Amino acid sequence: MNKKVVAMLLAGGQGSRLKSLTYTIAKPALPFGGKYRIIDFPLSNCTNSGIDTVGVLTQYQPHVLHAYIGLGTPWDLDRHNGGVTMLPPYAEIDGNKWYAGTASAIYQNMSFLQTCEPEYVLILSGDHIYKMDYELLIDYHKEHDADVTISVLEVPWEEASRFGVIHVDDKMGVNEFDEKPEKPKSNLASMGVYVFTWKKLKEYLESDNRSTASSHDFGKDILPAMLSNGEKMVAYPFKGYWKDVGTVESLWEANMDLLDLNSGLNLHDPDWRIYSSNPQLPPQVINETGTVVGSMVNEGCVISGEVVKSIIFQNVTIKKDASVSESVVMSGAIINKGAKLHRVIVPPKLVVPEGFEICNQQGEVILLTQEQLDEWKESVRK
Amino acid sequence: MNLLAVVDASVKKEGLQDLTMQRTVSSVPFAGRYRLIDFTLSNLVNSGVSTVGIFPSYPLASLLDHIGVGKSWDLDRRKNGLYFLPVTQRDGGLSSVGAFAALEEHIQFFTKSNQPHVVVTNSFVITQLDFKDMLEQHIDSGADITEAVSQGVSLKNYILSRELLLELIQTHQDKKVVSVEDVVNLKKSPHVFNEYDYKGYFAVIDSIQSYFEASFALLDEENREQLFLKDRPIYTKVKDEPPTRYMNGSKVKRALIANGSTIMGEVIDSTISRGVYIKKGARIEKCIIMQKSSVEENCDLKYVIADKDVFIGEGVVLHGTAEHPIVLRKGETVRKEDLR
Repeated sequence: MNKKVVAMLLAGGQGSRLKSLTYTIAKPALPFGGKYRIIDFPLSNCTNSGIDTVGVLTQYQPHVLHAYIGLGTPWDLDRHNGGVTMLPPYAEIDGNKWYAGTASAIYQNMSFLQTCEPEYVLILSGDHIYKMDYELLIDYHKEHDADVTISVLEVPWEEASRFGVIHVDDKMGVNEFDEKPEKPKSNLASMGVYVFTWKKLKEYLESDNRSTASSHDFGKDILPAMLSNGEKMVAYPFKGYWKDVGTVESLWEANMDLLDLNSGLNLHDPDWRIYSSNPQLPPQVINETGTVVGSMVNEGCVISGEVVKSIIFQNVTIKKDASVSESVVMSGAIINKGAKLHRVIVPPKLVVPEGFEICNQQGEVILLTQEQLDEWKESVRK
Repeated sequence: MNLLAVVDASVKKEGLQDLTMQRTVSSVPFAGRYRLIDFTLSNLVNSGVSTVGIFPSYPLASLLDHIGVGKSWDLDRRKNGLYFLPVTQRDGGLSSVGAFAALEEHIQFFTKSNQPHVVVTNSFVITQLDFKDMLEQHIDSGADITEAVSQGVSLKNYILSRELLLELIQTHQDKKVVSVEDVVNLKKSPHVFNEYDYKGYFAVIDSIQSYFEASFALLDEENREQLFLKDRPIYTKVKDEPPTRYMNGSKVKRALIANGSTIMGEVIDSTISRGVYIKKGARIEKCIIMQKSSVEENCDLKYVIADKDVFIGEGVVLHGTAEHPIVLRKGETVRKEDLR
């Protein structure tokens, strides 16, 4: 199997800042946008970019992801030659090989890459919402005859310290790479999307594995090592919507961006579809007493209450006199009569009791939990 | 499951002509995201039937495209599964269910199968029929042919033994009967007939009026609760449509809406299919707007059925009536100038 480009999708992330949403699922499996999971974005990007061989590296709470991706059918990745391959950590004669860092995850799957014999390896993260044509990135890498190309985008200066920050010369050659610097010297951030020339990558993964001092991470170890050895590293400027949904707040923001026609995140573009599994559900119903404005609603919903500026996943029931605004209501949730929610994320299948109100006007977005509802019920009883 | 299924998708309904210029009755879109045949196929698989022969007649491209290898209904099997058996008989036998002349063309489907019973069903009656239950009752009754009925109306679903069906196919010319439906209606001797009483939701789609009524009936929760069951889902060929977006200024009341649509205007008492655009200031009442159709700004539509890919230009006013809805055929464009 000779494949020109193989994508390695890092999907082991825990996403601990997303609290209860990621207790039992990995961050890439997180529901987003009314019917999607975050991993649909990089997977659809692969398919839309003509990349048909994708390794998905899992580790933290992998079963939902494995079941969800299955044979890769929704993304057209159920292929005889290539397609999607799930790559969880595995045991060898000399011990278990947990993924210590992003680089070690790729290193442990060297045998998978060897069988593909790729020319280029595309490293992706399963944590980001964006639409990107990887083919353009790979062409750029080839044109620059680079050893590694890092996709970068401009971020607001005050946020730069959250990212791998990159310094470039006037030809987009990278001369510095700082992983999460305290005082960033640039606002060009790495998107965690890299193209490596496979031969080079292999070399560095092997030497990194031998180093006991290394944390086996691309940003912290591999890229700085390549840079100090004078390998050709270039930056690819990406212009478009990109969001790292690492927190409850940013997950909410990314969902709200879908409702803003100027955000650059358009899911209704027939030329760049985001593929996802499609459950067999009846159409949505807006009842006599229901109103929906400035919102997105998925199949299987029955809306009898008020929905304003919100994202409503499949199979959600919003009963009469209930009101949901600037909120994200995940699949199967039931918002009972008279409940009022403002700036809230409702996790899947949560049943919000009659009369429950939470109206957080401008403050932090609230991730509703069963505990919170139980406490409320308790306090109402008293 | 010892039941073999014949889906007679060759039955023509003259009253549906406007919607069947380029498709069979069985592939007429319904309820926003389905085709009529979805209900029949879903009932079969939900009842455990795994050998299904579909007998369609011309023009069948749209049905073939919809059904494919039967994957959406889990009928893409190594053993049994879906058989697409087009019939060439154009005249005669195509107006009643289970035409023997048509079945005869694919007699091997019956001789090669080994299920002892056959359900002969159609794709213009919408139900949640449980064929397992119907078969049990058929066997218990000891009758030769069981017909499903509801409130005195025939649902045109029949169960009989494979042996009897084969015999009827082979002797139908001598006996002067054209179809299973015909045999049942004539109560032909020496057969013993039985009725299976179905209690759930049903709709017979044989005219634009009945199509229209059945569509609006689904705006009532009671009917939806009988048709869309969690443990007996209606399967269809799914599409990768994003959720529907309701823009600021939109107004929607009593509507059944599929995914991928963009609603900017007003929608009342209507059914909207996948990927439909309803622009600003447009008002839609008592309408059925099918897949990928576009209703431009400031249109005013009442009692209109717009088939797939219909384009309704800015400011068009079209008012039909409940008895005579206006039907816009697939791909049609209507502009204000055309109406003057």
